[in-house]
Amino acid sequence: MTAPPLTPAPQAAPMDPGSAAPARGNRGLGRVRTALTRPTTLLAAGVLVILAILVVSPLLGLLNTTLAADSRSAWTDVFASRMSANLLWRPLGNSLLMGTATAVLSTLVGGFLAWVVVMTRLPGRAVLGVLATIPFALPSFALALAWDAVFRNDLIGGSTGILMNMGVPVPDWLAWGPVPVAVTLTAHYFSLSFMLIAAALASVNGDLLEAAEMTGASRFRVARDIALPVVAPAVVSGALLAFAEGVSNFVTPALLGLPVRFHTLSTRLYGAITTGDVARGYVLSLVLIVVAALVMFASSRAGGRRSFATITGKGGRSRAVDLGGWSWPVGALAWAVILCTTILPGIVLVLSSLVRRTNDFSSGFTLHYWIGGSDPALAQGQRGILTNPQILDATWNTVLLGVSVAIGAGVLGLLISYVLTRSRGPRWLLGSMSAVSFVPFLIPGIALGAAFIAQFGAPVGPFPSLYGTFAILVLAGIAATIPFSVRAATSALSQVSKDVEESAVMAGAGLFRRLGAIIAPLTARGLFTGGVLVFVQMVRDLSLVVLLATPAMPVLAVLTYQYSSENFTQLANAVTVVIAVISVAATILARRLEGAAQPWSASR
Amino acid sequence: MPRNRLLALAALPLVVILAACGGGTPTTDDVQAAATPHPLDTAGHDELVEQATEEGQVTVYSFTSRIAQVEEAFEAQYPDIDFIGHDISSSEQITRLQSEVEAGTPSADVAYISDAPVVITELLESGVLSNYVPQRVADSVPQEYQEPLLANRLSTKILMYNEEAHPDGSPIENLWQLTEDEWNGRVVMVDPSVRGDYLDLMTEFVRQSDALAQAYEEHFGSPIELSDGVENAGEQFITDLYANGLVLVDDTDNVNAAVGATDQENPPVGFTSYSDRRDNEEEGWALQASLGTTPSVGITFPAYIGMVKDAENPAAARLAADFLMGDDTPTGGPGYEPFYVPGDYPVRTDMEMPQDAAPLDELGAWDIDPQETASIRGDVADFLLTL
Repeated sequence: MTAPPLTPAPQAAPMDPGSAAPARGNRGLGRVRTALTRPTTLLAAGVLVILAILVVSPLLGLLNTTLAADSRSAWTDVFASRMSANLLWRPLGNSLLMGTATAVLSTLVGGFLAWVVVMTRLPGRAVLGVLATIPFALPSFALALAWDAVFRNDLIGGSTGILMNMGVPVPDWLAWGPVPVAVTLTAHYFSLSFMLIAAALASVNGDLLEAAEMTGASRFRVARDIALPVVAPAVVSGALLAFAEGVSNFVTPALLGLPVRFHTLSTRLYGAITTGDVARGYVLSLVLIVVAALVMFASSRAGGRRSFATITGKGGRSRAVDLGGWSWPVGALAWAVILCTTILPGIVLVLSSLVRRTNDFSSGFTLHYWIGGSDPALAQGQRGILTNPQILDATWNTVLLGVSVAIGAGVLGLLISYVLTRSRGPRWLLGSMSAVSFVPFLIPGIALGAAFIAQFGAPVGPFPSLYGTFAILVLAGIAATIPFSVRAATSALSQVSKDVEESAVMAGAGLFRRLGAIIAPLTARGLFTGGVLVFVQMVRDLSLVVLLATPAMPVLAVLTYQYSSENFTQLANAVTVVIAVISVAATILARRLEGAAQPWSASR
Repeated sequence: MPRNRLLALAALPLVVILAACGGGTPTTDDVQAAATPHPLDTAGHDELVEQATEEGQVTVYSFTSRIAQVEEAFEAQYPDIDFIGHDISSSEQITRLQSEVEAGTPSADVAYISDAPVVITELLESGVLSNYVPQRVADSVPQEYQEPLLANRLSTKILMYNEEAHPDGSPIENLWQLTEDEWNGRVVMVDPSVRGDYLDLMTEFVRQSDALAQAYEEHFGSPIELSDGVENAGEQFITDLYANGLVLVDDTDNVNAAVGATDQENPPVGFTSYSDRRDNEEEGWALQASLGTTPSVGITFPAYIGMVKDAENPAAARLAADFLMGDDTPTGGPGYEPFYVPGDYPVRTDMEMPQDAAPLDELGAWDIDPQETASIRGDVADFLLTL
């Protein structure tokens, strides 16, 4: 494939043959008419309807609930009452702080590792690349628990962590509150940045770098002026995802923050919902959505709308950077990060499923919770998970759900991001579409689940009730994971040069032909990355499925939750290990497939 | 701005359509009288069994996994009726039942559920759940556990201490000790703004203000003086408790481990479930109830059995409720056996209390009144948010 010989100025390039200017007389009407029949417009309209059903209507449902006569006071409670400081303002400040810290630290750590894995010749970088994707697949409590195991001091009582046991005093600020919360959230979510940035870096056109170096540009200038702009969309996407995750995570601030009364919006929100004040919880989640939308808007302003197209259908693989004397310190740093975020929490997770007594690593180990039969003395006679037939069922359901949602969300994400980046619709429309595609992240999963039951639980027109079906799980899963798939597809798509597509237009290829034959294969790597994110998210996420998964159709995350709410901690952790293994296996498998889907990087 | 008007015009139909589609979360708009009795409420046992056998199955949402044992026992007694027990936490049951009933697709017949004040306000008043008292137990269950919903047992949130560190009994004789320097930073509980049962405990402190005022005077020798913005002795106690470095955690297991872990020099005390004491051996804890604490050690609260609105199997639902109340033996037989544990209390006066735990009257816990608790619970939650 070669670039078209004649490239029109990209901004003026007609995307569809039908959009040629009509006669002057009824110009406006004619334009509308042609616009309506353009495939891109149809695609945009279709995507809009899907987004309206999957995202906007649950959101309106939330809003509706808070506006009902008996819950309207929730707004004044939150914004203008004596509780406001503790209910809204302080938690909001903490949430923004945690979101920002997570975004910045995740980008630094993830970007560094992506650079090491993709751009250097450091020995063992392939292994690093696999390990760096694992923290996202680990449950956030595993990382919080790992922190606890090391840094716990005597604030709460009970046993203390490793440092205290060795006689090293641990101050409260290091054991509890914002510092450990931000660090453990980063340890969890830098994988997002890593995966997105690594995918972008891998597609940086080697010719560009070489050309720059041949003109005498310093290595720093090459990095700043060529590599960085190319990966910028991935950096921003990763940072936004990390921000949203950091803002909405509940387990970590609950575990490490509450002892020093460190509340975030998410702990306040979950608290309000679980203590029966649903309207107040929804108001808080709407605040969360608005604030995050503002952050996103600001970041897209700051980022501008520059084009970073690098996949032009030609160009070779990038040369690796020779680190020289720096390879030792860089390698040591990279491995230290992986050790602390992947290996250590992984070990803690596995061990915590093997300990005789809950989270007490000195109480001796047993395989009972994995392979034991029913023993009334342990966990009220619950069987070990591998001898429990329910687990096999749940595993199958979980994998099937993850795959279905990953495929569904992947296709939808590609279509949405195509409309966002390639159609030239009105800016406000594209802007709100982009914002809407980010929102599901911020709707608390349990609220999204409830909204889906309300929406699809009863028959609508010719459609039967979906309650209790696998379909409703998949639909809700797609809605919840749109942010991942759209972000991943956008950063992948922004690298595909419009030239390539235009040459196909000239060759007479229609929209769907282009999507299938050009866009999809060229963005395959990014799409796979997104697909893995979605899969992992579905496999381990609980809050969404907890209402939608009927008990007759168990999924693993719900089983973990049931075990842990019954205080069968080891069993819960054992199931979590299974979840982590599935997620990691999916990640590794997808990396294999990626290679096959990218013929141009076969020389790898 | 024309563009804005255009946007509004474009967005309007979409909003209307979506609103008409009923996209939304459950509301309690359709509040209705739940008092209409069901024809089966007065049916005799044999009639229930006959109709239930025709129905063939019954689905029970339960806030405890012990429902699995009930399932086995039930099917042993009624082999022709399939008992499907699901373990779902109370707050999830509330959301789920509301959504299901609203959508007209209830998938459960019976709810076995805790979180009494929310159940009363969110499920009972809106008609999602209704009450059924089997005639067989009408005489042996005290009135307060028949109305507004039938309960089969009481659970606890009480003050517990480490009996290894304090072999001579609880170090806390008066709750106000918890607000003094000696216990600064050494009282642990789950954050009541995150967990409903602990919010009930805080609410009870406020409801029992008079008792707390009296206990204050007994302890300090002078009448209680209220701080600014504090309206009663209960709020004062909560304020002082929070100001004295109260440690809040996210989960009862964390309270148990902090208070109960052995080999501690100076363990904290904390509010948790009496029945968790049964895990002492397995987990290496030394938890013990702080019996004799003035004015009270904590609260007891009911586990409710409710009939789900428009359920498919109304007769089997009533049979299951009957089964959950236990048979006529002193320990309630196989149906009640999973719940017959020290630290939980059967409500039936004709059953024996489980061994190895203080009897209910010796425990001296305040028994919450779910309706009254519900009426001020929101205010207490608000008060906590100002601390």
